[in-house]
Amino acid sequence: MYKFKSGKRLSSLTVVVMSGLVTSLCLPVLAQDTTRPDFSGAWSTFRNTDGRASAMPVGELKLTPQATRARADYLSVTEGTDISHGNSCVGYGMPASMLGSGGYPMEIIQRDDQLFVIYEAYNEIRRIYLGEEAGDPGNFFPERNGYSTAHWEGDRLIVDTTRLKTQVDSRYPHSNQATIREVYYLDEPLDDGTRVLAAELTMTDPLWLEAPYVNVKRWQEMSDYHVMTYECTEPLWYDEMTALYEEAGLEMIQE
Amino acid sequence: MKLLINILGIGLCSAFFSAVANAHHSAVQFDFRNTVLVEGKVIEARFVNPHMHLVLQVTDEKGTREIQFEGHSRNNMARQGLRPDLFAVGDNITIRIAPMHNGEDGGYVTAVRGPDGTEVGNVSGAD
Repeated sequence: MYKFKSGKRLSSLTVVVMSGLVTSLCLPVLAQDTTRPDFSGAWSTFRNTDGRASAMPVGELKLTPQATRARADYLSVTEGTDISHGNSCVGYGMPASMLGSGGYPMEIIQRDDQLFVIYEAYNEIRRIYLGEEAGDPGNFFPERNGYSTAHWEGDRLIVDTTRLKTQVDSRYPHSNQATIREVYYLDEPLDDGTRVLAAELTMTDPLWLEAPYVNVKRWQEMSDYHVMTYECTEPLWYDEMTALYEEAGLEMIQE
Repeated sequence: MKLLINILGIGLCSAFFSAVANAHHSAVQFDFRNTVLVEGKVIEARFVNPHMHLVLQVTDEKGTREIQFEGHSRNNMARQGLRPDLFAVGDNITIRIAPMHNGEDGGYVTAVRGPDGTEVGNVSGAD
């Protein structure tokens, strides 16, 4: 028999039942935590062991007539020129930031309530919110990388992205009605134990896509690799400032 | 001034970096199947992203003139070993470029040899 301070007594059977209840409630939580992988690290496009980068996944993009016209308009004014979002230091935006990012590596910093995905190119950062950190997407302004929330299903991270801006300048053009689901998981490691990260992507767009766009991207961990900062906008500012000084007949002192 | 043209296959690096170049804007004007070595005096150098900008004073059979080049991003060059003190304005350097398809001056810089012989990328051979 067990006795509380109040003097009430509990039978052994009650204690056993309560212990079982607590255990049954806690174990799944504990087990869930231990199955969640840590994606933190520097990742480069999958190359296997031969050093060759796997081709950038393209897949089949079935654009609606509306999207085809919008894309054609964009190309008609930019093809053959030096004008591009990249040359204006504007990042790729989803899904191009995740699928390609110009071949540059990415870094993931994983916390319980948030994942930071830092694509080296253009210093693009995606914040993927989990649990209570995940807000109502409707409260956030649209961005090229959208607003991403996530949850775990076993050892897989399910990421849903909404609040995307319309992008005619992407090789994966989409309207602002597009939504993207990514499923991240650790794939079979290489023979030398190098970790492989995979993500299955599905983009749905009722306005610009005839059918969901599906693709799979793989990365491998680069233990001797470092994601670097990517300064891009400063030269644009430098040029602008230089022009101002020259117009004013002043000598600019900045290096 | 020497202008050497070596016809090379598409190496892994050039294929990769041509993809990178394509990622920022069209690079169709550059012939990544060919490699040209260019020597010249540095007039201006900006190692920036998304593409480096280089102006060399070049002397060859066409005469002496300043030629503008585009090239890999600062990040990609840094990964190949680029350091800020590799060369300075006024130095004579050698660059490896993908030339213009139309034969005009200019090209896409994929490797650099500084005045002390230090190479960033593979200047004289296939990547």
